[in-house]
Amino acid sequence: MTRVNLIHAALLGALGAGLVGCQGNRSDVPPVHLIQNMDFQKRFDPQESNDFFRARDCADEVAAEDAAVAEAVAKGEHPPLVERTCWARAMRPPPFGTVAVGHLKDDDHLHRGRGTDGRLADSLPRAIELSEALMKRGEQRYNIYCQPCHDYTGGGQGIATLRGGGFKIQPPSYHIDRLRAMPLGYFYEVITNGKGTMGSYAAQIPAEDRWAIAVWVRTLQVSRTKGGK
Amino acid sequence: MPAIFPRWTNNIPLVVALAGPVVGAGLVGGVWYFFSPKFTDVGYRPVQPVPFSHKLHAGDMGMDCRYCHNTVERAAHAAIPATQTCMNCHKDLVKTDSPKLKLIRDSYESDQPVPWIRVHQLPDYAYFDHRPHLAAGVGCASCHGRIDQMAVVQMSQPLSMGWCLDCHRDPEPNLRPLDQITNMAWDSALEKYDPKADSARVRAVNPPEHCSGCHR
Repeated sequence: MTRVNLIHAALLGALGAGLVGCQGNRSDVPPVHLIQNMDFQKRFDPQESNDFFRARDCADEVAAEDAAVAEAVAKGEHPPLVERTCWARAMRPPPFGTVAVGHLKDDDHLHRGRGTDGRLADSLPRAIELSEALMKRGEQRYNIYCQPCHDYTGGGQGIATLRGGGFKIQPPSYHIDRLRAMPLGYFYEVITNGKGTMGSYAAQIPAEDRWAIAVWVRTLQVSRTKGGK
Repeated sequence: MPAIFPRWTNNIPLVVALAGPVVGAGLVGGVWYFFSPKFTDVGYRPVQPVPFSHKLHAGDMGMDCRYCHNTVERAAHAAIPATQTCMNCHKDLVKTDSPKLKLIRDSYESDQPVPWIRVHQLPDYAYFDHRPHLAAGVGCASCHGRIDQMAVVQMSQPLSMGWCLDCHRDPEPNLRPLDQITNMAWDSALEKYDPKADSARVRAVNPPEHCSGCHR
């Protein structure tokens, strides 16, 4: 009798654990799909790695591995197990200098912020029209990409500059005379190419949005100028 | 004539009749739950090669998701940022010699990608595009959970077909104002948001429910 009770208790316990052990159990082991259903196929998603290109992308590591294996074989030992540090890309980086069709960026004003005389322009490129929508877009994009360092008002006291020991070099306020005197194209140019310790944001922000941000920077400046500008 | 079957076998029909449905239901229920992504996928949190904390960057510092995942509005894939995005701050300005960032610095020097481990992965036969979801006003947190509270990112939703269809059949409870998409703290329970009355929306949300909407 007691034995049967024990078995019952064990079964009930297992059932209970089965029902409770559940969703959201943390694990660093990749999900195991018991029914595969072609969940993972022989094709590549963006940014995945692809061993096909390993000899090209990881030439140094492959050469070192080959040398280690050859050495071990010569000595009659088992080849060493080396931890991988290099993965080849499925998305192939284009050769340096490649220009995609339609992306020549030959509009100097739009893409370099410079007029026909080669100097920084103080106006919007012809393709972009000043409007409320453009300013709203500029504000939104500014608050995403610039605000962490330059803060919401352009004072250069963004949250990133205050944490982790603070920035080694503070970003300048937009409201100093030197920057107030700058043409609109200057801000576009700095966003595009970076300046000093600020990196280039050309890869993160499309050109049209960079102009919108330049407009918003000018708006912030005007908002702090007595009597407007 | 002796009995062929011993007396206890008289109980077999009764035991089968009683235990059969219980065991059957248990098996069906077990497969239904434990074989589904609700169990197999939710909670997956791989150890990343660089201990990047979303809680610090997106939560405490309040950086917008799109600072790093900047392709999400322009492409199907919300890209893992280039190493250069990390280096915007960590090159010359903050924690420039932290040992935790060694891989990032190496990657920047060598031009080789950081081997980040993918957390959210749909089956390869499912088509997914971030753009229409953002345009419809589905927040990041609706599918990815409170990333701003995760020091280590984990899957918080099963990303299963049933889960997709729950929302495709009745999207409204998961919609939010179009300017609140990346706001992790936006709570539909507190906001009383009606997408039909929102003048910022130019067209009604009409998610596909037919097979080829997602299995193209």
